[in-house]
Amino acid sequence: MLLIKIYLEFFKIGAVTFGGGQAMIPILQRELVTNLHWITMKNFLYFVSIAATTPGPVSVNMATFIGYKVNGIMGAIVSTAGVASPSFILILVIALSIKKLQKHPLYRAFMAGVKPVIIALLISAIYIIASKSFHNALPYIFASIAFVIFIKFKPNAVLLLLVMGTIGIFLL
Amino acid sequence: MNKKIKVLELFGIFFYVGLFTLGGGYAMIPLMKQELVEKHKYISYDDFIEVFAISQTTPGPIAINIATFIGFTESGILGSITATSGVILPSLIIILCISMFFKGIAGNIFVHKFFLGILTGVVAEIAYIAVDVSKKIKLDFFNVSLFVLSLIEIFIIKINPIYVLLIGGFLGILFKTKEFKSASH
Repeated sequence: MLLIKIYLEFFKIGAVTFGGGQAMIPILQRELVTNLHWITMKNFLYFVSIAATTPGPVSVNMATFIGYKVNGIMGAIVSTAGVASPSFILILVIALSIKKLQKHPLYRAFMAGVKPVIIALLISAIYIIASKSFHNALPYIFASIAFVIFIKFKPNAVLLLLVMGTIGIFLL
Repeated sequence: MNKKIKVLELFGIFFYVGLFTLGGGYAMIPLMKQELVEKHKYISYDDFIEVFAISQTTPGPIAINIATFIGFTESGILGSITATSGVILPSLIIILCISMFFKGIAGNIFVHKFFLGILTGVVAEIAYIAVDVSKKIKLDFFNVSLFVLSLIEIFIIKINPIYVLLIGGFLGILFKTKEFKSASH
């Protein structure tokens, strides 16, 4: 019974979380800490910090963490499936109709308006990461060097991240 | 290609993408572009940007949305299930391991520095994508003023990014529909 409740709770959270993981932190906090008392506030904050620095979508990481805390490995699997289900179903419906959609002038006009916005959103993503994590000039210098390297040599994206991480251990 | 191999390949590629995505969302665009657009040619860059925009206005993590979408267009429902599982599984395994074995990992200074270093790389790669996308659109009055308007909405008025996207889309419909209608005839 608890497993079904976990699934439904995370399904609900997955369905109302727009724009990625950070946006669901307030929702998770209200539901799981304040309303259901599944985890403590202290544990919750610890989960947030790890979820943001481990691979994978933040919301998936949070779901796995809390699901495990509430009901072990089965809880983790069920909560992760729950949080992923709404987007899975919705995108499936969109994928089914995208070919027709793309021919429609209204869709194309909508997308023409969305593209300049994407650039602004990318800039704001950089701002969010830098303002939260870069506390002195050094990370900014690192990022600038990595940017030049990426533009000039187009290295494998993963390789560049791993190299930056390794250099970071010694220099940051 | 043999259907079973194709599905396995999708699983492997999305597992790789899921494994190396830190911080979620935008951070994974450069890697996905390299893997899905350039290397495996599952999707064109234009379609990729469109699916990305769609994922921003629908609930759920972008990684899952893109995995579901490409999985489906490549191999139907089975493909979408395997691609989505592939992209989720690395996080599931890593978080389970951390929950079970490494309780103090968040406070470790070397771990912190490693991830900070990675974040500098993430910022660089997002900047690269921003440059890349801006090269793809025309430098005309509509695009430039919409870009400036979006910056104002995000940084000064501080509107939820979903609405910023929807406002852009709405203005697109308002000013660009005629152009596309006459183009399709």
